[in-house]
Amino acid sequence: MIKILSLILFLLLLLVGKKQGLKTFICFYLSYFLLIIYIVFMGYGFNAIIVSLIICVIESLISLFLLNGYNIKTKASFMSITIVLIIMFIIIFLIGKHANIQGFSYESIESIGIFMFDINYNMTDVIIGMYLVCTIGTIIDTSISISSSINEIYENNRKLSQNELFESAMNIGRDILATTINTLYFALIASFIAFFIWHRAESIEYIINYKVFAQDVIELLLCFIASILIIPITSYICSNKLINSDKQK
Amino acid sequence: MKNVILKNKILLSILLIVSILILVFVYNDYYLYKTPILKITKIETKEKANDRNKEIIYEQKITGIILNGKHKNEVYELENITSKSGVYDEQINKNSELFLDISNDKISIIGIKRDKYIVILIVLFIDLIILVGKSKSIRILLSLLVNVIVSSIVIFWYQNHYNDINILFLFLPISVMFIVLSLFITNGKNKKTLAAIISSIISLFISFSLSIIILKLYNNTIPYWNMEYIEIITDYKNLYYVNILLCGLGAIMDIAITMASSIKELIEKDSNITLDSLLKSGKEISKDITGTMTNVMLFTCYTAVIPMFLLALKNRMTIANTIHMYGQLEMIRVLTSSISIVLCVPISLYVSVYILKRWKHD
Repeated sequence: MIKILSLILFLLLLLVGKKQGLKTFICFYLSYFLLIIYIVFMGYGFNAIIVSLIICVIESLISLFLLNGYNIKTKASFMSITIVLIIMFIIIFLIGKHANIQGFSYESIESIGIFMFDINYNMTDVIIGMYLVCTIGTIIDTSISISSSINEIYENNRKLSQNELFESAMNIGRDILATTINTLYFALIASFIAFFIWHRAESIEYIINYKVFAQDVIELLLCFIASILIIPITSYICSNKLINSDKQK
Repeated sequence: MKNVILKNKILLSILLIVSILILVFVYNDYYLYKTPILKITKIETKEKANDRNKEIIYEQKITGIILNGKHKNEVYELENITSKSGVYDEQINKNSELFLDISNDKISIIGIKRDKYIVILIVLFIDLIILVGKSKSIRILLSLLVNVIVSSIVIFWYQNHYNDINILFLFLPISVMFIVLSLFITNGKNKKTLAAIISSIISLFISFSLSIIILKLYNNTIPYWNMEYIEIITDYKNLYYVNILLCGLGAIMDIAITMASSIKELIEKDSNITLDSLLKSGKEISKDITGTMTNVMLFTCYTAVIPMFLLALKNRMTIANTIHMYGQLEMIRVLTSSISIVLCVPISLYVSVYILKRWKHD
């Protein structure tokens, strides 16, 4: 099943994107294996937060430098991604430590009942790491889109000042933001349907404080926040780097 | 210029004040709750002697005071048992606020108050979007709000009819409505939006039919029994199809509007551009936009399996078995939405060129 779908994806990417499509496919599967390795490392008992941070950095290296080459725009993107990752880490860490959202809840008991729960591994760290890894995809995507477009603009008009370049980057960022929020919303909303059917008899005050609901809503909001934060940061760093690199020449 | 700066300052101050007011409100919203809420005044955690399990179990003695309702200011004492890992229990600390059931003799914890964390993030999100998005933020927020309202209405309505209505037939027209509303609100009424709407709908139906055909062909190999909440929903297959339908929906719109904008840009720059060179440039653009979108789907969707994976691995299940048992459903979702992203690229290219270029001549 997975193989058939992968094959279809591969053929379509090759047909639509040619060489770049092939790269995308390789990058997609590298990321998939990276995710599996990440979980396996946690399984061996490495600290979940540290592993997830390393995975985020490796993933940005892969999708930036492998997919888009080593140049000023990818270097600028990498710097911005690192900064946003640090900011998001602080937010996620504080929320994760305080909101009591680790582990499973009552409705999962059927599926997790076959396992022992004494795994001796801190589930709070797991959810913090999970949120970090969850946001990295959209951070990278937005960052690359902005830095590519800003590079394009600068190539076409070398006379632009840093401020003008920053403003046009922000404008592109705003357009991207509108669609990114949509993408994230629909990618994550589907799980709510079954949740609400299960909890159809519960009151609103129970639902909004419920662990699984909080887990999902917080995940969605963190992805939103990450995709907003990356816009001004990439715009600033990228416009700065482009102008400065020209001065040096 | 000075006026603009002053106006910005006033807007910023209003934003700041409103945000603080909301946070103050949510930190003191106990009176809104009917369930008694306990504020912890003292908490003693001690390790429980435990030789059978390898994991440390903690016994917590909690003393606290009720903050609302007719039991307000009454002091209660209760116990909680928690573990080091916290897979299936509540790790309570001194900042937690607990919902209690005090109707019986035995007082029990029925939940932890988490609303303020959600509200903090919502406030942070809205503030950031206003600061970064400026004038565009109103449309973005409005579109999100409309989507949230429509989905809530549909889900709440379906809650009461989940046994007599086919969920797939409910969500097919709803997803078309999502496309029209979101694109219309964020981009306004113009030909670009029309092109994006038409290409989104075509892509959605082609990719969704393709996915369903493949899923039906391989019906027996899909571990539907690992779906969450399966015990209550008899129509679980259609529920899963709806999951697939919605998962790629936003991504399809993303591609469609990006393509329509680029084509419009090209036509506006050079109104005499030939059909051939337009298609050629469109193909160049398409190479750029598929790149990281598939990875976004992978990272946002697939991470959901992490806790389950970890639990299985920690219980000495093999990696291959774990992926097979608990990873497949999510991976199918990621792959089908990636397929719809890629399919959407040529479709939106041709539809945009057709609508924007041909209508130009009329």
